[in-house]
Amino acid sequence: MATDKHEHLETVLETHRMTHVQNLVDKFKEKRNEVKQALANHYGSDIYYPFDSGSFKKHTAINTKFDLDVVVPFKKDSFDTLDKMFDSLNDFLDDEYGEIATIRKQKVSIGIIFDEDDDGDVINLDIVPGRELNKDQYSADNKLNLFVYSKYGLFSSSTYIQTNIQAQIDHIKAKENERKIIRLLKIWNNNDGKEYKSFLLELFTIKAFDKEDISGNIWEKLEKVMEYIKDNATKDGFKLIDPGNSNNDLMDTLESWGKTNLSNRMETIIERINSNSDNIKSYFPTNKDFEDDDKSSSSVGYGIKTGGTAYSTPPKNERFG
Amino acid sequence: MKLHNKHRNVELIINQELLEKISQLGIDHYPNEFGGFLIGKYSDDYNTLFITDYILPKSYKGSRSLFERSAKGTKSLFSKLFKIKKEIYVGEWHTHPNGSTRYSDIDLRAMINIESSPSVNIKNPVLLILSVSEKKLNQATFYIYENKKLIPYE
Repeated sequence: MATDKHEHLETVLETHRMTHVQNLVDKFKEKRNEVKQALANHYGSDIYYPFDSGSFKKHTAINTKFDLDVVVPFKKDSFDTLDKMFDSLNDFLDDEYGEIATIRKQKVSIGIIFDEDDDGDVINLDIVPGRELNKDQYSADNKLNLFVYSKYGLFSSSTYIQTNIQAQIDHIKAKENERKIIRLLKIWNNNDGKEYKSFLLELFTIKAFDKEDISGNIWEKLEKVMEYIKDNATKDGFKLIDPGNSNNDLMDTLESWGKTNLSNRMETIIERINSNSDNIKSYFPTNKDFEDDDKSSSSVGYGIKTGGTAYSTPPKNERFG
Repeated sequence: MKLHNKHRNVELIINQELLEKISQLGIDHYPNEFGGFLIGKYSDDYNTLFITDYILPKSYKGSRSLFERSAKGTKSLFSKLFKIKKEIYVGEWHTHPNGSTRYSDIDLRAMINIESSPSVNIKNPVLLILSVSEKKLNQATFYIYENKKLIPYE
């Protein structure tokens, strides 16, 4: 029997909801808060209070692969150079957590991978240090300079990147339709070797919704976004501007062959799913661990929407008669 | 009190004392309509909803045939309830003074809005309608929302 594409994608989203791993999420958050407090205690007035970012903050997290991101905004005068800031944070985290976690330098962050706990859970945190661009202006402009650890590829000639993480968070705020498509593309990407940056897929999706009429059920929306990626990935002059830095075009993170490859992949996926709806299951798999828990597409039981927060808040004003 | 909804094969459980407290609030506002938010939690298999509490709106307007409530200023309460007690917003309640517990078109529209709101992550919010007179509760009916329909519990 043919697969109902819309229903399947709803199940995919449902089985990848973070609330399925709420206990683990709570552990992550507890550790994150502990680290934030330790950073605040150690750096004192050299920093603004650390804040949360990443897929959790953007509500695009999926339960198969996630970490929590914390941004530490350092004041302009805290360090002479960005690499000293990066090294200082690395050393502090190593001193503080080195015996119970692996601390490693990453492209723009310091990763903390805590040792497995008694439940077998491993907590990952990414701590992103940034130095305010303009002295005493961070609270007003949110602009930060991030150190780019030179071991990593595309930025090897550059040692810093200017960004506005708050603007990146705001860019996806209150865009629930876009978030669902982003989650689906992340699920596909993670299932397919994680070749593309999540941020690239996020910006592609938001731009598709912005430029095209993306409507219909969840499959129809996903198909239109994939068509938009297929049509534009290789187009000359097509840009995906980072909302945190107008000079940063995410398309530059892809080489020419990477753009062609992405376009071709989208075309193949659309064609194969439209020729046989069962193929949708290989590109967008459900998370088998939580299939039994799925009540969203069932006609029995109370239903929970896919993605989003763990609890609801009622809409502002309602009238009853 | 345990109620059953055949359509989705789900149960709703509410303590009699809590229902009486909610009813009394409705009676106190007679002859105007009054209402608020319902708080609860689902069983692990999502087949049972336990109504555990209510929250009153901080601002509202009530007349004999209309109740309008605002959720302004309640966000932190819902957040705290979830963090501390793992209890969540599960629906709405309001009174029909001297009326039946049949839902109105306005009630259905409100529930459609609620379910489709991005801030609401439940697909089947419940609606409690209380028929009240000056001194007593006449009847109370719970409805489950599904696909733009309200279906009563029995």
